[in-house]
Amino acid sequence: MKELLQNAIRKGQKALSEYDSARVIASAGVPVSKSTLARSRDEAVGFAREMGFPVVLKGCAHTVTHKTEMGMVKLKLKDDAEVAAAYDELTGKGIALDGVLVQEWVESDKREFVIGLTRDPQFGPCVMFGLGGIFTEVLKDVSFRVAPLSELDALEMIDEIRTRKMLDEFRGSPAVEKGALVKALIGIGNLGLEYDEIREIDINPLVIRGSAPLAVDTLVILDAKK
Amino acid sequence: MKDLNRLFYPRTIAVVGASDKMFKWGSYIFTNLLAAGFKGEVYPVTVSKDEIYGRRAYKSLTDIPGEVDLVFNTTPAKQAMEVLRSCVAKGVKNVIMITSGFSETGAEGRRLEDEMVAFVREHGINMVGPNTMGIVNTAVSLFATGSLVKPMRGGISIVAQSGNVGNQVMEWAEQQDIGIGKFVGSGNEAVLMCEDYLDYLCDDVDTSVVLMYIEGIDNGRKFMEIARRTTMKKPVIALKAGRTDIGAKAAASHTGAMAGTHATYASALRQSGVILTMAPTEMLTLSAAFDAMPLPKGNRVGVITLGGGWGVITADECEERGLTLPPLPAHVMEKLDSMLPPFWSRGNPIDLVGQPDRALFVESLRLMASSDAFDAIIILGVIGATKFVVRVNQMVKDLGYGDDVNIDDLGKAFRKLQFEFLDYIIELMEQYDKPIYPVALVTSPEDKMLYSKNGGKYKVPVYKTPEEAVFCLAHQYEYSMYLRQRS
Repeated sequence: MKELLQNAIRKGQKALSEYDSARVIASAGVPVSKSTLARSRDEAVGFAREMGFPVVLKGCAHTVTHKTEMGMVKLKLKDDAEVAAAYDELTGKGIALDGVLVQEWVESDKREFVIGLTRDPQFGPCVMFGLGGIFTEVLKDVSFRVAPLSELDALEMIDEIRTRKMLDEFRGSPAVEKGALVKALIGIGNLGLEYDEIREIDINPLVIRGSAPLAVDTLVILDAKK
Repeated sequence: MKDLNRLFYPRTIAVVGASDKMFKWGSYIFTNLLAAGFKGEVYPVTVSKDEIYGRRAYKSLTDIPGEVDLVFNTTPAKQAMEVLRSCVAKGVKNVIMITSGFSETGAEGRRLEDEMVAFVREHGINMVGPNTMGIVNTAVSLFATGSLVKPMRGGISIVAQSGNVGNQVMEWAEQQDIGIGKFVGSGNEAVLMCEDYLDYLCDDVDTSVVLMYIEGIDNGRKFMEIARRTTMKKPVIALKAGRTDIGAKAAASHTGAMAGTHATYASALRQSGVILTMAPTEMLTLSAAFDAMPLPKGNRVGVITLGGGWGVITADECEERGLTLPPLPAHVMEKLDSMLPPFWSRGNPIDLVGQPDRALFVESLRLMASSDAFDAIIILGVIGATKFVVRVNQMVKDLGYGDDVNIDDLGKAFRKLQFEFLDYIIELMEQYDKPIYPVALVTSPEDKMLYSKNGGKYKVPVYKTPEEAVFCLAHQYEYSMYLRQRS
């Protein structure tokens, strides 16, 4: 992991690609949605078949940090033809890509959360939890804790957001497994303590499949000074 | 941990730059020390006088016979190094550098401060400041700040990164009979940081509650470690200034954009068990509650009220702050059924429907305090009735009637009843170890917030409004939960 981070910094990257971000985040014990990096159209179609339709395709490069705004996300592709067309569209935008990420389509129950990591000059790595999705920054319903987090810290920060009721049974969906969230929050805090190379982390959205949290979009920002 | 014992409990003090001229720090500190009756020796040090207020003045620290535990320096910044060198020569280990004109003023000031810090560290001197308001320790009648505030002795100690805020809090404390233990204005924190004082107060037997006014913390992680240790022993109540400073950060991620400086501070403080407040007045009100009463063991509140509206307001406040009002147990209901008119509320809040009968209040309070169904009680009315009674009788007199009534005697009699009731509240708190919050019907400007009984383990704050009482109760409950989950 250290090597992956340092290599990226050596190459002058400001962030990890989503593929690498997901690997780092999964290593911290956060469940991440299945994905593979395709380097050709045929590979993309092959991976999609293996994974089962529908799938999501995303242009993958360390420079692509605002995927939606850059038109780099193709959602819910249902068959070979749609995957092939999406592959051509993403690779035809004139942006240098590592490849195209083929990701399982997660039918979420609309509940979206965010987990993040930031570095404070006085307190060091801090973990964020809150309401995720596209309204995150508008509603700012988030809580912070300084790493390392105890189990109690994690539970308290989960309980601190105004929309905490969304973690209970919600419109026919079961209550969210708090244990998995706690493990994820502690894990992200520990990543921050262990790797100075990581400046910030965004997991947004973290969706709920059944009762389990699952990261479907991940971003690791690097600290070039390290 | 740094040994700050002789800093707060000096036997002998020298004031370098002492003066009898008005509007000089050397005069404030020296006058203050003498006037407040500091128990040890106080030596003025100055070249311009032989004697100040009947005390022999010394030309230099080294001329003073015997040991000097603590030196206040009020001479200009340029002379600071010279004073520090004479401190070393005299073997002084504690210095309060009142002097300003250091890092807060620019590059030259910064250079002077750095030089001072290196010297002080090398010689193992505890230095408060520079640019500090001074210190207070009521236990030894040590009052040495820029203002002549003199609160009564108590358990609330204050660490303030702004001396003015600390002074203001002490002024209010003095007006409200709220007891203060120690105060230190940490100034520029060149050597001793606010967490060093917290570390000291954690183990200080004369301190039961710590108040902190914080603008910034240099070593956040060290502060948290000390705060965590302290809050397991005693409540720490803080006001962090600069809430609206979002801290313009390069927002490469959503997380970065949302983690304003204040959000991080607030979380770090909360994570360490520190109780956060929004204003200096809140800080004092809360600390008085923590200092005076036992902690609630749960969030179940019993409310007794003289009128319905007040009870509803209190119930709303409780619910919104995470407290609950459980129903009345059967035996409480039965007992009250036999005492109250048939149309009484038959629930919690107990609405005494305007019955001014004191026995009803006493009995309802006893029933609730002794019941396992409640962790805390708020009682609205009784206290403050004096003013009401006096007013009614005065009006009758103004109409030309009621000659047989002596208003003064009436006032005295009611005040006495009121004090008896407060005594009773203290007794119940001691007997059942749960907090009771009286809210006054009406308050007068001369009413003090805190009432204590000689030799009583607890005191009673009298609240002006139900929301103030619930505010304190909710924070005490939160702290009580914090402790329970961690011990």
